Amino acid sequence: MKNFADVQIGDTLGPVHQFISKDQCRNYARQCGLDAPRFTDDEGARKEGLPGMILPGNMSLGILSKLVTDWIGADGGARLVRLSTTYRVPVQPDRTLTLQGFITHATEAERTAEIDVWIENEDAERLVTGTATVQFDK
Amino acid sequence: MAVNYDPNLIGRVFETTDPVEVKAERIRSFCEALGESSPQYAGGEVAPPAYAVTFRNGRHFFQHVPRFGRAGFDAGKDVEFVRPIRAGDKITLSSHVKEIYEKTGRTGTMVFVVVRSTLKNQNGEEVAHIDHRFMNRT
Repeated sequence: MKNFADVQIGDTLGPVHQFISKDQCRNYARQCGLDAPRFTDDEGARKEGLPGMILPGNMSLGILSKLVTDWIGADGGARLVRLSTTYRVPVQPDRTLTLQGFITHATEAERTAEIDVWIENEDAERLVTGTATVQFDK
Repeated sequence: MAVNYDPNLIGRVFETTDPVEVKAERIRSFCEALGESSPQYAGGEVAPPAYAVTFRNGRHFFQHVPRFGRAGFDAGKDVEFVRPIRAGDKITLSSHVKEIYEKTGRTGTMVFVVVRSTLKNQNGEEVAHIDHRFMNRT
């Protein structure tokens, strides 16, 4: 179980390397009722001016959320209370993504930690950036 | 050039969706699509935090939102997770336009429309607040 006292500014989450296939991307899009071709079909995505299929923004948010909840762990003791994301560059499937985080602030009065989180491609380009806030029970 | 829109649009809630019942099977499918295998979520009793962003606006909501320039893209989200979503919950979503603003960057002028959605459960308790930034190139 994670406690606030264990949190140190500068602690890192990851790196986690995750391969997202086109099928996984399509499956996520269909599960969530996102039927735009950009999420399911390379040709349809190109007609929209994209280089090929891209991950839905919500999927990138979900992957970063998972990075944080995996760090918290199943034993609890803390909760993800806020996550902000900015989609800087389209995230393409059939590539290995790297997920990372870095604790930037810890507020004792509220027992919260702020964590910069991001998704990088194989060229270390930050595709999605965000900030997560985790609140600890004690 | 300042972006033109009806200022009375800001803050008006046009539609609250009908309740959507959260089924354990749907949570499990979402977890599978996202690659979520943590025992606290994969069983389907409690949804991972990112499940909150899968609820959709009402069918008529976007008829009230002005369009600016070419096709819009998802620029990012700010999500506050107020309480967990559980199987059996019945979730409603109401949305309003929170703000509209313009930015000029290296690639030209962009208009951002921020839609704030509030999710509530069957007890009227707030579950999540989502600020969704849509970006349009003019």
